[in-house]
Formats: sequence, structure tokens, C-alpha cells
Amino acid sequence: MKNLIRSLIILLPLFGIYFFFNILTEEKFYPGADFRSFEVPNFELSALDIDVKYTSEDFDNEFLMNVWASWCITCRVEHGFLMKLNNDGYNIVGLNYKDNKSDALGWLKKYTNPYSLNIHDPKGSLALDMGVTGAPETFLVKDGIVLVHYSGEVNKVIWDNVFVPIIKENKMFQ
Amino acid sequence: MIGEISHFFTIIASCLFLLSFIFSTRTYQSNHNIEILVSRVFSYGFYFILISFLLYVWLAIQSDFSIKYIAQHSNKELPVFYKISSIWSAHEGSMFLWILFLALWSQLFNINLSKKNILKAPAIGLLAFILFGFLMFLLFTSNPFEVILPIAPINGADINPVLQDPALAIHPPFLYLGYVGFVIAFAYNTAFLIKGDMDINWERVVRPWSLAAWILLTIGISLGSWWAYYELGWGGYWFWDPVENVALMPWLAGTALIHSLYVSSRTKALKSWTILLSISVFSLSLFGAFIVRSGIIDSIHSFANDPQRGLYLLGFSAILITISLAFYAYRLPVLISTNLVVSKSKEAFLSINNIIFATLIFAVFLGVMYPLIFDFMYGERISVGPPYYNTIFAPLTFLASIFLVFSVGSLWKRSSQLFFINSALSASILLSTLITLYLVSLFNDFNWWFVGGLFSSFLILFRYLILIIYSFYEGNYFNKASAIAHIGLGLLILATTFNASLSYEKVINIKPGETYTAEAYEFTLINFDLINESNYDSVRAKFSVKDINSLNKVFFLYPEKRKYFIRGQITSESAIKITPTKDIYMTLGDQLDNGYWVVNIQYNYLIRLIWIAAGVMCLGALATFTQSYSKK
Repeated sequence: MKNLIRSLIILLPLFGIYFFFNILTEEKFYPGADFRSFEVPNFELSALDIDVKYTSEDFDNEFLMNVWASWCITCRVEHGFLMKLNNDGYNIVGLNYKDNKSDALGWLKKYTNPYSLNIHDPKGSLALDMGVTGAPETFLVKDGIVLVHYSGEVNKVIWDNVFVPIIKENKMFQ
Repeated sequence: MIGEISHFFTIIASCLFLLSFIFSTRTYQSNHNIEILVSRVFSYGFYFILISFLLYVWLAIQSDFSIKYIAQHSNKELPVFYKISSIWSAHEGSMFLWILFLALWSQLFNINLSKKNILKAPAIGLLAFILFGFLMFLLFTSNPFEVILPIAPINGADINPVLQDPALAIHPPFLYLGYVGFVIAFAYNTAFLIKGDMDINWERVVRPWSLAAWILLTIGISLGSWWAYYELGWGGYWFWDPVENVALMPWLAGTALIHSLYVSSRTKALKSWTILLSISVFSLSLFGAFIVRSGIIDSIHSFANDPQRGLYLLGFSAILITISLAFYAYRLPVLISTNLVVSKSKEAFLSINNIIFATLIFAVFLGVMYPLIFDFMYGERISVGPPYYNTIFAPLTFLASIFLVFSVGSLWKRSSQLFFINSALSASILLSTLITLYLVSLFNDFNWWFVGGLFSSFLILFRYLILIIYSFYEGNYFNKASAIAHIGLGLLILATTFNASLSYEKVINIKPGETYTAEAYEFTLINFDLINESNYDSVRAKFSVKDINSLNKVFFLYPEKRKYFIRGQITSESAIKITPTKDIYMTLGDQLDNGYWVVNIQYNYLIRLIWIAAGVMCLGALATFTQSYSKK
């Protein structure tokens, strides 16, 4: 009986630790990552830098969409990694969120532009439809379907663990 | 530059703590010099971490936005007070503060403990190991010193308006001070278990430190509850939110610990149980830190982050807890006291309440864990809400109050006379029965918890009042600290009982010009003001409230809704009118399509007494310090 109590004292906490270890190492346990797919909602917004209107029909290929703003500090932090992705040949669409045009253009000029094109969403209407709650957020889109929605800074760890498995699974960017 | 120095000092501090720990493992050679070295090196480590933190505060005051963390959480326009408090508004900085407090407690302990104490070197060594582990966590997974290159942003982040509040700015430091304060009992008792010398009187050493930690934890929890009430617009004092619960568990365990320590130091009974408690309190604090910082639970308190942090915290906590429990299990046969608990003695009643506290802790633990286990096994989300906690907490609290009252006036190691032979006890039972019957019929509320709550709170209050009056009259000694603290408990039960029974909440739809009558008050919505401030727009309603019971006296309430520009965040500013017995609490909801507004009206009875009662409990605990000093 006494030995039973003695072993339980050690085994019960170890069991709890094992349980939490399992939760934390579950493949998709990344707070901020959402893997429920949905269609890119209908929209019509102008480009940030040129006088063009984009609609949802223009976006039926494969790309990453990054929500950013010049007032967003984390976007500055994330910028370096986006540049790397851009150099590696990934197509990144910028969604400039609740920002003013001249600030945003100044930001791109100052820090260099990782985006292939930029949608200007000053009121955050498209962002709202896509479930954006702040900046930065990043979407992985294939054929007009959002496969990954990540809230927060994308860095190497997040990229390798959240995005790369889905990209491989869907044979994208080949 | 200062940023780099601060960073570097933290690294030096980690090395010094590691060194102190390594030295402490060499003390078996019973070389006295090495024991002094352990303590010295530890002190140096503390000074480095202290200077490092002060430099960091300086950086925050200067708004040095080349530091990523400060840039993300502070702003040039903030008052200095909030610039400093922004340090602990998110994960990295609050972890830094947590570690600073851990070092502070340990250093105070290091200074105060006599050199001759043979457990000093191993205990300090263990504290150094804990500090080293958490500093590695800080430096490798949550570095607050990271810089933004090449150019720093100019203004910093926009400010989360909810976080600009004095109660929020000061409640985390108190909570952390309380949480980590229990590390002293943990480290010292683990050192005791490792050494295994049963003659050491560890209760005397550990007790004041645990009491101090308990006081700070109580203050921290109360401030948090107050903040949620008037700033978040939650309209109550406790919500059984997972993060509140992980703070409540160490508090319950800490309460049991300070009582159990008292028993062990007086009677030599319950020793093994007290040691298990001292290990549990700090383990529960670690559990809390893990839950909040791993992202396992979603709550307004939790910090979003990556799983590496969770894994590190889990691993390090596992090491600490397993080592400590392994030694506990190993020493258990010799720890179990030969002094048995005499039935109906003071220690017997305290033991029963210990069991009740253990049950409460387990109930909260289950409430926190159950949704996680369910989600893990079945992939479904469920939540455990207030009804579960209330049904368990109410009857057990009443039961604990009764045993508490039995323990008053009972004797150590001797059986006491109960019930009708004991006149003070029977007088309190009689008086509280009468007043309960009177109040129950007055308020016409026959709920079991209302009756039970009234009876147990009055039982405690009357028993201590009789004790105080009798002792003054006879000039007898009585434990004043305990009397004050338990009167606080009686008031707390009284206030929560009345609050639960009488409080009134109504959600109404109203448009300007209309009047709504809720119990004894008439609310008339007069108009709305639109206010444009520099960083938000606000809609402010003006209500005139007529108090029918007191000569139709009229006052005004201005509940408000703000929309902040940059984040688009909407906050609700509740309007509160304080009267002697209750708060009239109003929050503005949404506007409906037909021009009506949703408004929430609450009468919160005796809610202020809840925080006052918590304050009285703290005062009582504080008084134990003056008592133990005057005895010397």
C-alpha cells in the first residue's frame, strides 16, 4: 500500500506531463494557424501603386497573401522573411490593410518591396470578409481557395511547420 | 547600446547562477568555504539581473524602439507610468519581470538565512538552478532584447486601450510576486528532502516566506478581479475563467500550506502532508505559467506564441517537479509522523479543512483539465462553467467554516469539548441561527446556498467577536492575526452570499426619451453625445436615474462606447454609481436597426465588501509578522 502511494506520487504528475507533451507536439498545434479552407470572397479594390482595379476573378492561381500596414511593427519584423520567400520565387500578394496610401508607398520604398502586386484595402473590407483581426496575417491560396490562414508573424519555424506541409500536400509552387 | 549591455548582463547573471548551482553540488565535502561561495556567487548573479532589468526599464522610459519588444508594446505618447508597465504587458517582458521577482525573493532569502543553517547551500543552489533554467527559457525562446535592424520605427505601436489602466498595470506584479514567492518553501523543503536530516526545523524557516507570498498573491488576485469588474465591463468579481482558475489553485494550496505549517510547527503532526503542499504550491504556479504561456488555453489573458515555449516550460517544470517528488517519495517512510492526530483537537479540525482544501483544488484542476482532455480524446470543444464550480465550492466552504469555528478555542494535542458544553460555541451557533432565520424570511430567499452562506459567515463572525470580547474582558491572550484574517473570511462569505442572492441584471432595449423602471429606480435615456478624441470616437449615453425609495433623488449615469482608430477596437466604459449597499452598474451595448439601444443594468450588492474582505484577510496575515516579532 505504501509503495503504491509512493509510486503514484511520481507517476501521476508524469502522466500529466506526458499528456501535455502529446498536445504540444500534435502536428498542427500552432496557435494562430487555421486550416479550414474557404473561397476567396468577392471584392473589387484598387491597386496600391498603379491605377488598376482588382476583382476576385484575378486571383485564381497559386500565391501567398500577406496582410500588412505601415503602422504595423510586426510587419517590419516579418519583412525580412518575406523578402527571402520572394527571392526563393514565391508569389506574394500584398493586402495593404487600413493604411494610408502615401505612408504605405513610403514604407515599400524604404524597406524594398517583397510583393508582386499590392491591393489597397483602406477600410479593411476584404480583410474583414477573410477573417482578418489584425496585421500581419498570411493566407495560402490555391485556385481561389484559401488553404491556410495564419495570424501573426511568419518566420522560418512557422513557415516550415505550418505552410510547407500544406504546400507539399497540394503540390504547389512547382 | 544600453540594450546590448542589459542583454549581456542577463547572460552574465545566467552564468553566475549556473556557477552557484555547480558549487552547491560540491558541498558534501563539508567545506565551509564553498558554502559561502554558493551564497556570494548567487548574490552577484542577483545584482547583474537587477541592473539588467533597471536598464531595461530605462530603455522603456526612453522609448528605445530599436528593441523589438518595446517597439511593439509601447508608444512615444504614453505617460511614463504606462511606458514602464508596458514591459509586462506581453510574454517576453512579463517573463523577465517574473524572473526578476524570482531572483529577488531568492536573494532576500539568501541574505536572511543564517550561514550556519546546513540547508542554506543546497537550497540556494536549487534556487540558482531554477533561475538558470528560466533565464535560458527567456534568452532562447522569448528574448526581450531582440533588436529591429536596420532602422528603428519612430513612434512605436498603437496602444491597446484596455491595457491602459492603473489596476492592470499593478496587478500582474503582485500576482507574480505571490506566485514565485512560494519558490522559497519549495526549494528549502526539497533541500530538506535531499539531505534527509529529520531533525531540521524547516517549518519555522519556511512559514514567514509562505505567508508573505500568500499576502501578495491575495492582493494580486483581488486587484485582477477589481480590474475585470470596472474596466473590462464584465460586471462581476469572478468568472471562473481558466486563467483565474490557475491563479486560484496556488492560492488555495498556499492557504492550506500556511495553516498546515502552523500545525506541523506546533505538534509535529502532518509533516509529510505539509511538505507535499509546499511542493504542490510552486508546482501549481508552474502549471499556471505553463497554461498561460503555452497557448494551450484561449483566454483574454493568454499570450499567443509558438509551441517551442510550451515544450521548454513543460520540460523544465517536469524536471523540477519530478526531482522534488522523487525525493519526497523516497523519504516518505521516515517523514510520516509518529505523532498521531488526537481527535477533536485543534490539529484535527485543521486536518479536516486541509482535506476540504485539497478537494477544492482538485475540483478546480478538473474544471481546467476536463475541456482539454475532452478536446484531445474526442476533438470537440466543451467548456466548464460557473454552475460546476459553484455547486462544489459553496457546500465545501460552508463545511470548512464549521470546522474552522470548532477549531477556535480548541487545544493543541488535546481533545476539546464540543457543542453545548462549550458556551462560546453554542452562543455563536444560536446567534447565527437566529439572524439567518430572520434574514431568510426578510429576503424571502430559501435557497440552500443562501441559508448556508448566511449561517456559516455569521457563525465565523460571532465566534470571533465572542472570542475578542471575552479575551479583552479577561485579559487573555488570543491570536489576533488569526482573528482578523478569519473575520475577513466571514465578511467574504457574507458579501458573496448576498451578492449572489440579491444581485439583479436586466438587458433592456431603450431609445432616447424612454423610461425603464427596474426595481426601485427609474432609468430615463436622455440623449447621446458623440465625442471625438485624438485616438478614438465615442458614443456616450446620458441616463437620468430616479431613486424612488429616497425622495425621488436624481443622479446621472454616462455609459460609453469607444472605437479606437488604429486597431478598430471597441471598448465599453461602464458607468457605476456606488451606494452604501450596492453598485448600480450600466453598460452600453449595440445599436439596433430600429433606433433602439441595448443597455445592460446591474445592481451588484455588497460587491465592494468582497474586496474589502480580501484586504482584511491580508491585514490579518500581515499581523502574524508583528506577533512573531513581539514574541522575540
